[in-house]
Amino acid sequence: MTSKLILVIDDEESIQKVVKLSLKLEANWESICASSGREGFSQAQTQQPDAILLDVMMPEIDGIKTFEMLNNNLQTQTIPVILLTAKTGTAEKRLFQKIGATGVITKPFNPLTLASQMARLLGWRL
Amino acid sequence: MASEDRADKQTFWDEVVDTHPLTASDQTLLPKVLAQLVVHPGASCVLALRRGQVVGIATRQDIVKAVAQKTKWTKLRLAKIMTCPVVTIHRSELSTVASVTRWFEQHHISHLPVVDEHKRPIGVIVHKQLLLTTSVQSAETLIARQHQRAQLFAEITLKIRQSLQLKDILQTTVDEIQSLLDADRVLIYQILPDSTGKAISEAVKEPYPPIVGIPFPEEVFPEDYQQLYAQGRVQAIADVHAPDSGLAECLVEFINQWDIRSKLIVPIVHLLQPERSSHETSTNRLWGLLIAHQCRSPRQWTEFELELMQQLAGQISLALSQGQMLEYLEERVKLRTVELTQANRALQLEIQERKQIESALRKSEEQIRLITNNLPVLIAYVDAQQRYRFNNQAYKHWLGQAPADLYGTPIKVATGADYYDTIQPHIEAALNGEQVTYESDLTFSDGRCHAVSVSYIPHLDTSPQAESKTNGFFALTTDISDRKAIERMKDEFIAVVSHELRTPLTSLHGSLKLIETGRLGHLSDEGQQMLTVADESTDRLVRLVNNVLDLQRIESGEVTIDACICDAADLVEQAVEAMQAMAQEQSIEIRTQLEPLSIWVDPDYIVQTFTNLIGNAIKFSAPGKTIQIVGRSCTDVALSNLSQSPLANGSTSPPAVALFCVRDHGQGIPPDNLTSIFERFQQVDSSDSRKKGGTGLGLTICRKIIEQHGGTIWAESEMGIGSCFFFTVPLARGQTTP
Repeated sequence: MTSKLILVIDDEESIQKVVKLSLKLEANWESICASSGREGFSQAQTQQPDAILLDVMMPEIDGIKTFEMLNNNLQTQTIPVILLTAKTGTAEKRLFQKIGATGVITKPFNPLTLASQMARLLGWRL
Repeated sequence: MASEDRADKQTFWDEVVDTHPLTASDQTLLPKVLAQLVVHPGASCVLALRRGQVVGIATRQDIVKAVAQKTKWTKLRLAKIMTCPVVTIHRSELSTVASVTRWFEQHHISHLPVVDEHKRPIGVIVHKQLLLTTSVQSAETLIARQHQRAQLFAEITLKIRQSLQLKDILQTTVDEIQSLLDADRVLIYQILPDSTGKAISEAVKEPYPPIVGIPFPEEVFPEDYQQLYAQGRVQAIADVHAPDSGLAECLVEFINQWDIRSKLIVPIVHLLQPERSSHETSTNRLWGLLIAHQCRSPRQWTEFELELMQQLAGQISLALSQGQMLEYLEERVKLRTVELTQANRALQLEIQERKQIESALRKSEEQIRLITNNLPVLIAYVDAQQRYRFNNQAYKHWLGQAPADLYGTPIKVATGADYYDTIQPHIEAALNGEQVTYESDLTFSDGRCHAVSVSYIPHLDTSPQAESKTNGFFALTTDISDRKAIERMKDEFIAVVSHELRTPLTSLHGSLKLIETGRLGHLSDEGQQMLTVADESTDRLVRLVNNVLDLQRIESGEVTIDACICDAADLVEQAVEAMQAMAQEQSIEIRTQLEPLSIWVDPDYIVQTFTNLIGNAIKFSAPGKTIQIVGRSCTDVALSNLSQSPLANGSTSPPAVALFCVRDHGQGIPPDNLTSIFERFQQVDSSDSRKKGGTGLGLTICRKIIEQHGGTIWAESEMGIGSCFFFTVPLARGQTTP
């Protein structure tokens, strides 16, 4: 499988590092990180990643608003977005699906299976 | 006295004596005499005189007879037809009518000339006239006497009646009789029930000894005599010493000690009233005797005296009856007074009790008013016509609506039509006897909107004649704005914790997992051991945080079960897959035996339930053992409230449920713990649980999830054999039982 570029948008640097390392080790995917919704939106436009892992709960512009920005932008609206969130119920997951998210991964995730989870949601093969 | 006699004689003279008699010489010829008679038609006789003295008398009848019978009557002289010699009476001999009458009776005459000392005629008394006069006088005397008696009787009666006290009446009676009759002693002798007796009242002249108070033995007045007197006998004895007195000698001797010579005895009979007598009809009883004594000399008792005594004895009898009636009335009054006193006392007590009750009620009302007016809730009572019948002061403070203004106002008017439309179903439910609680927003008088919790408690009408189910309902409205604010804060806190705790845990957990792979470099054995400890502890911490947050969310009602039709096998597979790694670590095999089942559940939560149950089964199974998951449908009438199940909508067939079982072959659960293990932090062996990495919340979360689905969860176990955890969830519509 060809290497993928994943945009990780999370205000937590530690999460960024774990995700980045996990994806590199397990799937040999490259990651670029953004610490806010605004920064992530900008990076998505410029870097055109293969997928975006977007944290829902962030200060200022949260994951949902960032998702809307991405979705409303012609350059970014085709990039699949997987929401990363604290554990949620079925109703919340449905909401995320309804707005058009490709999938939802709940925190805390298993770094050893994160890549395979993402691949399944994105329809990729590892 | 002499003047009185003269007056009497003068009266007698005027009434009886004809002082202008016709007189004529005894030699007068009859025609001449006849002529006098014609001139004086009232004259009944002619006195014949000779030398002025009365020598004969010729009545009008004698003269008429001679005229009629004698042919030569004109030649006859008065001397020829007159009665001669003639009986005359001297004027001085005229005393009483009786004595004059006796003259007539003795001499058998019809006319009696009255002459002076010279035998000259001064008048004539005609027997017929005398009789007439006597007759008139007798009648007048009788009337006068009767009048006198009546007057006396009235006077005495008046005196007697001036007192109601029997003792005074009796004393007055004897005093008056003694005075009137001029008797030496008058007494009232009372006969006692044992036939003895004593004088109870007495009026006695000096120097005669008093009898009053002295007891008399029965022999003095034996029973036989009493009977006679009871029948009305009176006894007048002029002289007790006379042989015909009828008194026994011993009795005469007995009464001599009081100088009694003559006595008059009248019975006093008491008419017993029916209510005082043992018999139903009135009966006469000899109560006593009214006795008058004349001492030392005999006395002839007159009819008048006897009658007076009898009449006064009657008065005493009447007084006795009145006394008896008085006594009876006094007794009745006394009884009635006692009754009234008792009734009054009872009434006073009742009044006091009522006052106390009223006071207690007032106090209670004040307390209730104080409580209701100071409670920070709206309290109201609404009648069956949806009109306010009570509102507490909070209505004024919160909504600016005074209770007095609200009284009788329909809710719709008080709340406004729009707000009423939102609460109308609750009101109707309450009036149908259903207790209702709902939350709403209410705008207070300050213009701010407050969250309120409203409860309607129906006032059920339990009377048999009740037309409707309820009389109304009580409405309690609580301001829950603060609670809502706290809930919001709690939600925010949970969200923050959920994020802030999970984020570093995610990093920690992820980092450790990555290090553990060894792809970031190898550690020493000790370092590897420490890493494992850190990893396991992090895993446990993650589970604990997840469980605590899950439970909190479920219990707060924040979690809503988002049910959909799910394939049971798919959910079980997800759970098994998630736990497979853990099972493999413990060398435990997981087997499934499932019927094709479509269930109406929230898939995430049911997967979580399976995961928890499988995790527990793994933890408590020995290596090499098998865990079995069984699923099938079944009918369970008891699980009928499957409100979220499609089956519940309009289905009349028995509700069908899916029954799942997770069976292990572990150590088993003691029977006592089979129920408590579903409570939070209730593990069979907490130390064992900690060793296994349990949080003590897994089964509680399972129970909450299943209950939210309208299902049931329970455990069965046999020590040393293993445990089986059952739960039911609704089948999806169209899923039928085999």
